[in-house]
Amino acid sequence: MDIKKSQQDLDSVSNDTKSNSRRDFFRKTAALSVTALAGTSLMASEEKGESVILEPQEWGTKWGDPVTKNLYGMPSKYEHNVTRRYTKLLASGNYRASIAVTPIQESMGIITPNGLFFSRSHGGIAHIDPNEHRLMITGLVEKPLVLTMKQLKRYPSVTRTHFIECPANGGQEWRGPQYNSVQFAKGFMSCAEWTGVYIKDILADLGVKPEARWMLAEGGDSSKMGRTIPMEKVLDDAMIVWGQNGEALRPEQGYPIRLLVPGWEGNLCVKWLRRLDFASEPWYCKEETSKYTVLKPTGKAIEHFYANEVNSTVTSPSPEIDWSDLEDGDIVEIEGLAWSGMGTITGVDISFDGGNTYKEAKLKGLVLPKCWTRWSYMHTYKKGEELLLTSRAMDDAGYIQPTIDQETSVVGVEAVYHRNAVETWKVEKDGKVTHVEVRSQLERKPNGELYVGGKA
Amino acid sequence: MRFTLNKKSIVSISVAAALSLGFSACMESATPSKSAAPTKASIDGGVSYPVVNGKTGPYYVNTQFNGVKINNGRVPTADEYKEWDSDIMPDGTGLPEGEGTAEEGSDIYDEKCVMCHGDFGSGGAGYPSLAKGNAEELQATLTNQRIKPDEDGPVRVFGSYWPQASTLWWYIKDAMPHPLTDSLTDDEVYSLVAFILNANEMSIDGEEVDDEYVLNREKFLKIKMPNRDGFEPKIDGPNGPENVRKYFANPHNFGAQKVKPAERCMTNCQEPTAKVVYIQNGGINDFHPPLSAKRDLPVEKEASNFDAKKAYADNCAMCHDSGAAPAPGDKAGWAAIIAQGMETVYKKGIEGTDAGMPPKGGSSLSDSNFKSVVDYIVNQSK
Repeated sequence: MDIKKSQQDLDSVSNDTKSNSRRDFFRKTAALSVTALAGTSLMASEEKGESVILEPQEWGTKWGDPVTKNLYGMPSKYEHNVTRRYTKLLASGNYRASIAVTPIQESMGIITPNGLFFSRSHGGIAHIDPNEHRLMITGLVEKPLVLTMKQLKRYPSVTRTHFIECPANGGQEWRGPQYNSVQFAKGFMSCAEWTGVYIKDILADLGVKPEARWMLAEGGDSSKMGRTIPMEKVLDDAMIVWGQNGEALRPEQGYPIRLLVPGWEGNLCVKWLRRLDFASEPWYCKEETSKYTVLKPTGKAIEHFYANEVNSTVTSPSPEIDWSDLEDGDIVEIEGLAWSGMGTITGVDISFDGGNTYKEAKLKGLVLPKCWTRWSYMHTYKKGEELLLTSRAMDDAGYIQPTIDQETSVVGVEAVYHRNAVETWKVEKDGKVTHVEVRSQLERKPNGELYVGGKA
Repeated sequence: MRFTLNKKSIVSISVAAALSLGFSACMESATPSKSAAPTKASIDGGVSYPVVNGKTGPYYVNTQFNGVKINNGRVPTADEYKEWDSDIMPDGTGLPEGEGTAEEGSDIYDEKCVMCHGDFGSGGAGYPSLAKGNAEELQATLTNQRIKPDEDGPVRVFGSYWPQASTLWWYIKDAMPHPLTDSLTDDEVYSLVAFILNANEMSIDGEEVDDEYVLNREKFLKIKMPNRDGFEPKIDGPNGPENVRKYFANPHNFGAQKVKPAERCMTNCQEPTAKVVYIQNGGINDFHPPLSAKRDLPVEKEASNFDAKKAYADNCAMCHDSGAAPAPGDKAGWAAIIAQGMETVYKKGIEGTDAGMPPKGGSSLSDSNFKSVVDYIVNQSK
């Protein structure tokens, strides 16, 4: 430790008449330890120490719960604020066609616990009796099939870690930032280890006819959610899953079974799955015509926009958990997530000036295809500094996140879905964090095309 | 057992090319790449990871399974197949016979739909709009972009935006009315579709869909959606999947950027005109529960704090205040119901009725709280 700096800290602390916090205690003792007791293994202090150490706690002296209590374990009561959240803006009047989003500001590693996995439904969360549920496979197959859940699980199982992202993640912010919250700005996604069966393994059993070009997946809930999926994906990595992070799917995730279409729009991962149908022509389901299409400035809309493109965000600091408690010179880890439905993350860059200049950040832990990837960058905090933290990810398909100007000048600001331009979080002078965007004013050419103002 | 699965029109043109691409993904590749994680271009513009040397990407695969027949399950019966085979395709596959008028549709709409979708399908309370006026005129708004404040946006309702009418028929039949789906007859669905065509001021074969227009299967299949050609890539026909692949092979089509890692921008990456834009007017901050990262004990909720009036507004008012069901204070409307005795009123409320009352009004209230809401209504209506 830098002795001079510590001495300054000590001076500034003793000048602060309000200081009486635990933090100040450590600051004083830390300073004393180097000035008075360097070379010994214990800290000297003007005070006896913290009462949480000096005095016994109730939990340290009395019986805890018997093992017979909470046979299915629950988080500590103290973690009650780590929870999914919802807003009325994104709900039908009765929260049946609605979404509750994941607190990614609190996420650790690359796995979302099942109770925090974002929850989206179109007719409420169905509670299906697995004994009364069947999967029916029909259409252009040699042998149509009905399976009980027990029979389905007899196929050889496959376990894969993938994110699922609602393509409307960030979809309220095409025209400007709206949420001062990373949970709402980027939390329409989660990541889990899924267990199920490759659909191609079932089809090997049934025989799919060569005319089959599309598969319909349909839910058994009241909304009968349906989506059309091309055969190529069906025969690549699409799965029917029943396991989520080592246990059964939660009802919110489609118990007993859902489709998993790795990397593609979350909406395609049909929950409460009951029917797969194969045909030579596509279906035009509601959620691939009226919604989940991307309207461009040309007036044409992209349909069948499958993959969630390469994306990333800073998750720490965040408006929820900011840097207002940091002191000058504190070393702090900037952390975030990167993900791509088109492949595997190959790198993440971090900018401190809103995406004008970048430095390479470090990837951390496992780097898996179509999966959350954690990245970080060590930063020495200067009290009073203003920073515009922008992250930018790349994937092995060759894509890099666009600037907002690059993305909006092509797809406009009415797309709703598939927004993957870089995201910026401003660290204010007081360490608070604000969601901002760095962008230009767009203008329109007579033919309708958009361009960055001042750049004809 | 023989099945009539010909409904999904069989196109004779071979799609072997597309299929072989897909199938290669589940077989040992003949040409293992040197790379540990081999990739190839996919239909979505990304890469996929074929199984090479017993691995797909970083995952080991049990290749013992290749070629093994599991022979699980059984073939469905014809009745089972028919019961679940409810999809309607653009060419009319799956569309049953039936008929109805916009006028009949209007009556059904007023009874079962208006509480959410508003007068003439205008929308509201978080539920989608079904019509905003003349479909042809509104289709022209699709080039609108709100790049500056106070500009009009595009109107994306059934008439102006949807590419296929089959979607509407199918969706109403399968998934409406929202609290009690799959409850309309085929004639009722034709009537509601006629009503929605009418609200969108649409015509079929040059004939305006007015109140008396009798919509049936034959006429339905002649509907031309104004925005039929408003979508890209073209997914229909034998070339559909290849059109999709070509489309997503061009990053410019969907606003993406490709770059070699060594050539990516590291300085001066923003336009000189780019500036910091802040959240306006507080933005959206209606968050439940409110944002907090504190580690403390949750506040215990007291059961006695239950607010029946608020629960009524949240769960019941959408029907009971709209005339679809008797309102609190409507003494005439409630007299016959109350006369059945309160235990019956509670029971019917909790279990729902054929008259359209969903169980507990579609709420997730506990039985005792639901009874408090019933009391709240009945006490005003005696």
